[in-house]
Amino acid sequence: MRHNFIDRYAALDSPLHILEPRTKLLAFTALIVGVLSIPATNGFLFFIYAFAIAIMMGFSQVPLNYIVGRALLLLPFILLASLAAPWKGYLGFGVLFVRAILCLILLILLTNTTRFAELLRGMRKLGCPQILAMNLSFLYRYLFVLTEEAMRMKQARDCRRTASAPFKEELKLLSSMLGTLLIRSFERAERMHSAMLSRGYSGDFPVISPRKFSWHDLAFLSVVTLFIVSTFCFTNR
Amino acid sequence: MTEYAVRIIQLSYTYPDGTRALEKIDLDVPCGERIAIVGPSGAGKSTLLLHLNGVLQGTGSIKILNQKLEQSGLREVRRQVGLLFQDPNDQLFCPTVYEDVAFGPLNLTVPADEIQRRVDKALSDAGLNKSIRSRSSHHLSLGERRRVSLAAVLAMEPAILGMDEPTSNLDPRNRHHLIEVISGLKATLIIATHDLELVLDVCPRTVLMDQGKIWADGETRKMLADSRLMDAHGLEVPLSLKLGFKSK
Amino acid sequence: MHIPDGFLTNRIALSLDVVSGAGILYAARRAKVDISGRTAPIMGMLAAFVFAAQMLNFPVLGGTSGHLIGGSLLAVLLGPLIGTLTMASVVIAQALFLQDGGLVALGANIFNISAVTCFSGYAVFKLFGKRIIVEGKHLFLAGFFAGWCSVMVSSACCAFEMGLSGAIPLHIGLPAMLSYHAIVGIVEGMLTGGVLKFLLKVRPDLMKDEGGTGFGIPDWIGAMLLVAIPVALLIVAGSSSLPDPLEKLLGATPIASGAVPANPLSSSRIGDYMIRSAAFILLVGLGILVSRLVRSRRSRS
Repeated sequence: MRHNFIDRYAALDSPLHILEPRTKLLAFTALIVGVLSIPATNGFLFFIYAFAIAIMMGFSQVPLNYIVGRALLLLPFILLASLAAPWKGYLGFGVLFVRAILCLILLILLTNTTRFAELLRGMRKLGCPQILAMNLSFLYRYLFVLTEEAMRMKQARDCRRTASAPFKEELKLLSSMLGTLLIRSFERAERMHSAMLSRGYSGDFPVISPRKFSWHDLAFLSVVTLFIVSTFCFTNR
Repeated sequence: MTEYAVRIIQLSYTYPDGTRALEKIDLDVPCGERIAIVGPSGAGKSTLLLHLNGVLQGTGSIKILNQKLEQSGLREVRRQVGLLFQDPNDQLFCPTVYEDVAFGPLNLTVPADEIQRRVDKALSDAGLNKSIRSRSSHHLSLGERRRVSLAAVLAMEPAILGMDEPTSNLDPRNRHHLIEVISGLKATLIIATHDLELVLDVCPRTVLMDQGKIWADGETRKMLADSRLMDAHGLEVPLSLKLGFKSK
Repeated sequence: MHIPDGFLTNRIALSLDVVSGAGILYAARRAKVDISGRTAPIMGMLAAFVFAAQMLNFPVLGGTSGHLIGGSLLAVLLGPLIGTLTMASVVIAQALFLQDGGLVALGANIFNISAVTCFSGYAVFKLFGKRIIVEGKHLFLAGFFAGWCSVMVSSACCAFEMGLSGAIPLHIGLPAMLSYHAIVGIVEGMLTGGVLKFLLKVRPDLMKDEGGTGFGIPDWIGAMLLVAIPVALLIVAGSSSLPDPLEKLLGATPIASGAVPANPLSSSRIGDYMIRSAAFILLVGLGILVSRLVRSRRSRS
């Protein structure tokens, strides 16, 4: 199974990658809010934002076809929801669609230019409760372990199954599989806890942060702020 | 007088669900010795290892380096006793290798520059390249993961090292490499395993456990060659002994 | 059910961000998880479990497939507060790993998928009696209704938020979401009930402690407030600024003018609304029929 579909390009070394995670979290959130507040009639601003995002994509060194591929994966839902848009004119649909796509690309950029461990450190420093950060870190680590376990169970089920069982049987089988997976998760958590205790764990989950807030971050943040403020001024004129 | 790394007297343990795992275990391990604990699955080997640093606490007494193991001194004991778990997935719970290896020293409040040095040393002692530091555990092979787990334990610079099935599921090359790494370690070693060839290579002394009790304790080559004893406890005489290889 | 960025107005998305953020901080403080104890690893591992469990899907009808969502299951196993925290980490991970759900819309998604499912599921489960886990009677039924209701309430919240944002009008979104999730909910309910029954049979000890957090009356009041405040906020935000970007669009462009009444539920729309929901229900029925037919043919051959 491929393990790198989550943060495949997060280990590159581009101008976007070297930023401190807090900077990126704040800046990208601001940019998404910016995209969301572009008035629908202002085609020019959409263009400006698209241009800015394209520049960042260029700097990020994340391959274009990867970004497009990821965006395409989520496209059906966005299309469907946009089609249900009430003001059925093409413009209403187009605006919703473009907004969603721009935000999606920003999110893809954020997650593919930051290692998850660093993203977590950023969140932690921005005031995310420790228990949630720990949860996310464990989730990231054990996601693949448990998914592999789940896939093995699924294979074993598919091997034994000859014809499709009735709906109810199928559900019963699935719930016992899920139950087994759940019990194994519990047991693994206990083993992991003893491994943590064995290495002196006493409630403090240490954080090591290799990246410091530097002039890069200051520069990036000020450019983004300037950009957003100027687009706002432009809107209100 | 010999210094004892571990002295266990009359240790018994019953799991919360009522299974008796250990029954009146007595075991002395002098400092610097390497002993193997062999026995069939479910014999209580892993449970015994978990007692060495107080993760599990049964009745009876355990002395680690002449210190009685008690609730208050657990921190100190965990600094002295490192445990290598069977499944490296249970032991590597941090997002990156570096954090995993640094986890132990950080908990022992080792100063920052010292941590860096320890992580590097532990990784090279475990036979790993420096470039592995920033990778995520789920991108590693099983052999690498097992060695990272070992590095994570070594980074705490333990005086006593307990290992649970260190060579299980490894392919021959990785197994060989790991045995080499283990042979080079200076700590007192307690290895619980089914891999009798490993025992022959590394440990001069062997303890045979079955059903929570110790059945035999003595020189490795003599015990492993005793086919009646081996058969009675679900083990078999290693091929190399049968065929007369490895004669010293 | 994960709302991507772009479908909620800033006002609604950001106010839900604030609500969810505050809710999580409150839950993290109130749950009093002993960080050095077992609960923290168990929470993390169960979060990973929910993530992995969603990969174990099976065909429901036609091309779609169902899987466990897990909010009510976690709430029953861990208690609603810890369940919410655990589900919240799943939702955050889905946004960050798979871009499933947006970043600014994260607050809304956490609210819908973790808080609402956990609390509604837990509340419904507890309706079946306090000692239901210990006694094990009607356990499947309680699990089923907990799962079903949690999905329905959650999808209704989702439809409301989208409707108030002017992305998908309520009179289309609500019946569509509810009727679709009525079916998804059946799967969720049966899986929740089934897993609970399985656990009781195999490892009843895992179900006794509920993570050690009792949930008293003050907490229920707090939780109600936590739900009531955003709803009020939404209604205020929604009515004062319903189509904040889209209004400008309407005012400015003649293309779509006239056809849209100011009130999405005005009488001229009701006929349209009934036709749409009828069409949708017909479609769903057709789907079920087709999948039945396919199945019976397959089993005969």
